[in-house]
Amino acid sequence: MKRAAALSALLTLSLAAAQKTATIGWSGAITGPTSDAGASYAAGVEDYCRYAVSQNTLPGIKLNCVVRDDQYNNANTQRNFEDYVGNMNASAFLGYSTGGTLQLKSTIQEVKVPTLPGSYHIGNVDGADSQYIFLPISSYSEQLVSLVEYVAKKDRGAKIALVVNPSPFGRAPVDDVRKAAQRLGVQIVDVQEVGGNNLDNTALLKRFESAGVKYVLNQNTAGPVANILKDAKRLNLLGKMQFMGAHYTGGEDLTRLAGDAANNFIWATSYYMFDEADKPGIQLVKKIGAANNRKPDTIRSVHYTSGMLAASIAIEAIRRSKDPSAAGVYKGITSMTGSRAFNPGFTVGPVTFSAKDHIGAESLRLLQADSTGNFKAITGAQRSAIFPLVHPLK
Amino acid sequence: MNLDLLPQLLLAGVVIGSIYALAALGFVLIYKSSRVINFAHGQVIATGAFIAFALTQSGMNFWLAGLLAMLATFALGMLIERVFLRRMVGEPIISVIMVTIGLASVVDGLLHLTPYGAGNFSFTTPAALSGAGIDLLGTQLSRVQLAGVLAALALLGGFTYFFNRSTMGITMRAVADDQMAAMSVGTSVERVFALAWAFAGLTAAAAGVILGLMSGLTLTGLAGIGLKVFPVVILGGLDSVLGAIVGGILIGVLENLAAGYLDGLVPGGGTRDVFPFIVLLIVLLLRPYGLFGTKEIERV
Repeated sequence: MKRAAALSALLTLSLAAAQKTATIGWSGAITGPTSDAGASYAAGVEDYCRYAVSQNTLPGIKLNCVVRDDQYNNANTQRNFEDYVGNMNASAFLGYSTGGTLQLKSTIQEVKVPTLPGSYHIGNVDGADSQYIFLPISSYSEQLVSLVEYVAKKDRGAKIALVVNPSPFGRAPVDDVRKAAQRLGVQIVDVQEVGGNNLDNTALLKRFESAGVKYVLNQNTAGPVANILKDAKRLNLLGKMQFMGAHYTGGEDLTRLAGDAANNFIWATSYYMFDEADKPGIQLVKKIGAANNRKPDTIRSVHYTSGMLAASIAIEAIRRSKDPSAAGVYKGITSMTGSRAFNPGFTVGPVTFSAKDHIGAESLRLLQADSTGNFKAITGAQRSAIFPLVHPLK
Repeated sequence: MNLDLLPQLLLAGVVIGSIYALAALGFVLIYKSSRVINFAHGQVIATGAFIAFALTQSGMNFWLAGLLAMLATFALGMLIERVFLRRMVGEPIISVIMVTIGLASVVDGLLHLTPYGAGNFSFTTPAALSGAGIDLLGTQLSRVQLAGVLAALALLGGFTYFFNRSTMGITMRAVADDQMAAMSVGTSVERVFALAWAFAGLTAAAAGVILGLMSGLTLTGLAGIGLKVFPVVILGGLDSVLGAIVGGILIGVLENLAAGYLDGLVPGGGTRDVFPFIVLLIVLLLRPYGLFGTKEIERV
């Protein structure tokens, strides 16, 4: 009996030793600038990995997800990436910031580790050294160009101001928005950089008002946008100006921070909303969030869903290729095309990638905040008609 | 140049400048009595704000939570002085500065361990402050802003009176002026230092709560205020409460004028963060001890 138990234990140990390991590393801002989005994103990555392990999504493969704070500091991102790739033999890297991803582009190309950034900057997947980088959803540029198209349809010739974060993340879509505005017959009259320390926006808004600005497009995180909206409400400008923004500006975070000043804010994103309870992806988000005892604010945040999407793509790629190496992940990701598109249910369209297509869920919707603090779709799932002309991918 | 904007920019500058002055007051209180520059002040501001936020989250009334947060940071200031700074009496000033920089890192790290270390939070505006504000000089001021300015002015006025009229205030100034002489007449220098740190903690919480109410609570933002208001105290004079008020308002107004008139001329704007420093440099070239700081003359 004792011998049988010993043999059984030995067999279990041998099987465990033979099991392959897939390491997925995330590096992003759990603290520091933009951590209002990054903390929830990290939680989404972590929780989806736990879920995949609990579901035995990768039979015979041990999934090791590592989540590290880089404080939105590119040097820390680089250090984390080098540790994941050099010491942990990572299968995939889940990035976060625009600056960090751009800085790592040539290294990623060299080490051939598939990377899914939280930054949706088109420059991540455009030009040289882009072979191993994949955007989970539509780019910031396409999101903002879609908003410019919306404005142009309603109000040709309208004056638009662009308010962006003072970082590569904020500046990423500026050129594309300018080009789109020119083609669509609207004017970009001002581009201003506003960061998280915007205690008072009176001067900014009053200057916009005196310049006849009717639409303010934001490329930022929810915190600075909430402060602008609260000041616009105080200055009675909410009826005179329509505020809009790309993915990281909106969602539950914005309505929680800005309160009723967020009413009517128009937001472009590819994700389903927390209150769309009939969507299987959202049901899964709620289930996983509850299982991990996350705070309601975290679960409601769209960035929690975003983190899950990035993790789910990497894990699905390993599942498809049955190979936890970086090459296997690349093979798995680029197989998500046509009838083999991946649809985890988090986004309004399926995730499609190929060797040439590096943008996952390309469809997006425009949504508008209502008085209950929820965002309701004002368009169906769509793609910008003009964006491919404004920014043809090389 | 649109001169119609000028009164609005000036008013907005005064409002935000008053809050800067309140945040800067903690620097002045400590420097005025002990000649120490506290680089952990921003972290104390953040601590006060998050204590108040945590209390309101547990269902406590906003005003009571604010008051308790001020008492908590009063005690924290006293504790910091007792545990870390008292041992540094008589040590070189650079050592003392390094201790406060180290303290900033430690408090920052501790705050990161709390649920408020990451993310963006906001107070639920109390009913008394959520109604319509007032229209002044063509610009609208919210009740939160008005309350912030009033609270800042009340605290600044109170401390001006305290230093000029009360026995303890004059004692604190005496200790700052000459520690040895103050000790020789029986003044408890330790008690004076402890009180200065405690008062600085109290004003830090007040500033943190007001800032949190106006623009939300983030650890980075609140802790960053400590350094953002540093030009205020340098400009006004490190040991002058009046200097903090004038410096705060001056920086606030300069920021708004730059944002109103220069940002449009510079790609991307952002002149509001630079312009006050240019003025600061010019002022310091002319008056190295600040506008209202004490000019120290050493006789040999």
